Amino acid sequence: MNRDCDHATEVIYSYLDQEMTWVRRTRIRWHLRRCPPCTGAYAFEDRLRIVMKERCQDEIPADLLDRLRSMLRELPPVP
Amino acid sequence: MADQARFEEEALVYASPLYAAAMRMTRNPSDAEDLVQETFLKAYRAYASFEQGTNLKAWLYRILTNTFINKYRRDHRRPSEVDLGELEDLYLYRRLGAEQSAESARSTEERVLDGLMEGDVKEALESLPENFRISVLLADIEGFSYKEIAEILDIPIGTVMSRLHRGRKALEKALWDFAAKRGLVDKTADHE
Repeated sequence: MNRDCDHATEVIYSYLDQEMTWVRRTRIRWHLRRCPPCTGAYAFEDRLRIVMKERCQDEIPADLLDRLRSMLRELPPVP
Repeated sequence: MADQARFEEEALVYASPLYAAAMRMTRNPSDAEDLVQETFLKAYRAYASFEQGTNLKAWLYRILTNTFINKYRRDHRRPSEVDLGELEDLYLYRRLGAEQSAESARSTEERVLDGLMEGDVKEALESLPENFRISVLLADIEGFSYKEIAEILDIPIGTVMSRLHRGRKALEKALWDFAAKRGLVDKTADHE
């Protein structure tokens, strides 16, 4: 762990959230290329995000969708 | 009338993701159904004020979130920032890697990521205090940008970032606890 690694940890979410300028992203990429531990951390957090997203879905119950559709059709037009 | 048909066509596309978000917020199906229904009703009534060509999905989430906060929150006072305590950065990753060689750390990571059940992951997210849960949900599950989340929640971008930072650490802690419960990790390696 050195200062570059500390920085990489600090900005990991900005990087993964794509909330970083191109210049700063490039600097992080340079660091990752030379640093297997940070690369491991970034890869893990990235995969964890995918796992979360895949496993946190719920299909809307069909009868609720039907109810929404008929509700919207029965409502008076909005002036 | 044209607007009505258009609303139905464009907004109902988001019914499933909105329902999933409502489930994470209310933590029970019957409140989630009511919340979604109320969200569509309000959105329909306000649709005239929606600026065509802007972000309909974010607009619907804003209505969902506000409705939840105003109606379904048990405690109607605006909660102060809950203290999550001091957690290590990259909590889960560091715990999984704490023990052994790089190779066995990799295989533990695989086992945990594969082995966490859908119910575990949902429950872990639902265990976060509301402010953190909603921010993490909007970012990690719904894929909204910081700016969109700031607009949905009516908070500064800096607050979005700090809630995400702390919320994700707390989420990793909750996932670690589930991994331990499922026997996916050796709890004895947890020597802190």
